[in-house]
Amino acid sequence: MKYAKVYFEDVKVGDELPPLVKGPIEQIQLTRYAGASGDFNPIHQDDEFARAAGMGGVFAHGMLSMGFVAQATTDWAGAGTVRKLGVRFAALVRLKDVVTCRGRVLAKSSKDDVNLVELEVWAENQRGEKVVTGRATVALASRA
Amino acid sequence: MPIQVNRGVVGREYPPFSVTLERGKIKEFARAIGDLNPFYLDDEVGAASEWGDIIAPPTFAVTFRDERAGAGALLRDLGVDIARVLHGEQEVEIVRQLTPGETYLCRTKVVDIYEKTGKSGPMAFVIRETAITDRTNEIVATMRHITVVRL
Repeated sequence: MKYAKVYFEDVKVGDELPPLVKGPIEQIQLTRYAGASGDFNPIHQDDEFARAAGMGGVFAHGMLSMGFVAQATTDWAGAGTVRKLGVRFAALVRLKDVVTCRGRVLAKSSKDDVNLVELEVWAENQRGEKVVTGRATVALASRA
Repeated sequence: MPIQVNRGVVGREYPPFSVTLERGKIKEFARAIGDLNPFYLDDEVGAASEWGDIIAPPTFAVTFRDERAGAGALLRDLGVDIARVLHGEQEVEIVRQLTPGETYLCRTKVVDIYEKTGKSGPMAFVIRETAITDRTNEIVATMRHITVVRL
């Protein structure tokens, strides 16, 4: 069930997050993200500009893909649990691409009543190419 | 002929700027991502939560912008056209959740520039860090932003 609460004790190293499928990416979403984020770089809006820049056409904001990865993380761990999220934008996301966000538990640790879970997170396109790679740290509640 | 970036920008601290977080901006941002989590969108769910209000999604702090301290100022200082830049990497650390009505102070500095040649040619990596503090000067979040310049 979406937004179900995950407790620290129930998480095991190697557990996988439910995949989150986003897209197909449409121009209107990039325009909407530009407005919401304040990033009006024309390379995400204006195909002619993006071609002239040598990019072969418009592509999605990296931060939109990071937002997708953050959503996959919080859909599983809960809103407000993310302590750290770091990503590399490994490949461009194009219009019509379908982006699937995934994650896997790498490690668990507890210190001073804070229960942290370290995750490998990534997103891939419909050809299975990684477009985002990264790490996330989430703080989970204990059953105790 | 590759272009040069102005390496003198390393160490530059941009003017601090403050942002008062608007409830509607949080919702607009969550919806733009397509993340319909009720903790971002539903005021009643927020009010009943441990934070007492809706909270911002993890990547929300990228919306904190100021003309004198943002990407435009950086590109002017580097001497680089916007058509040459890509977002290489991004990191966010969240100490406390961002909530509506709070006023935050953002301080951005350029911490490093290095050059590398990738499969698409020579590139410069420009690393900026932004510290976000609250009214009591406590750190709320930090961001690390790597801009790639195609030289």
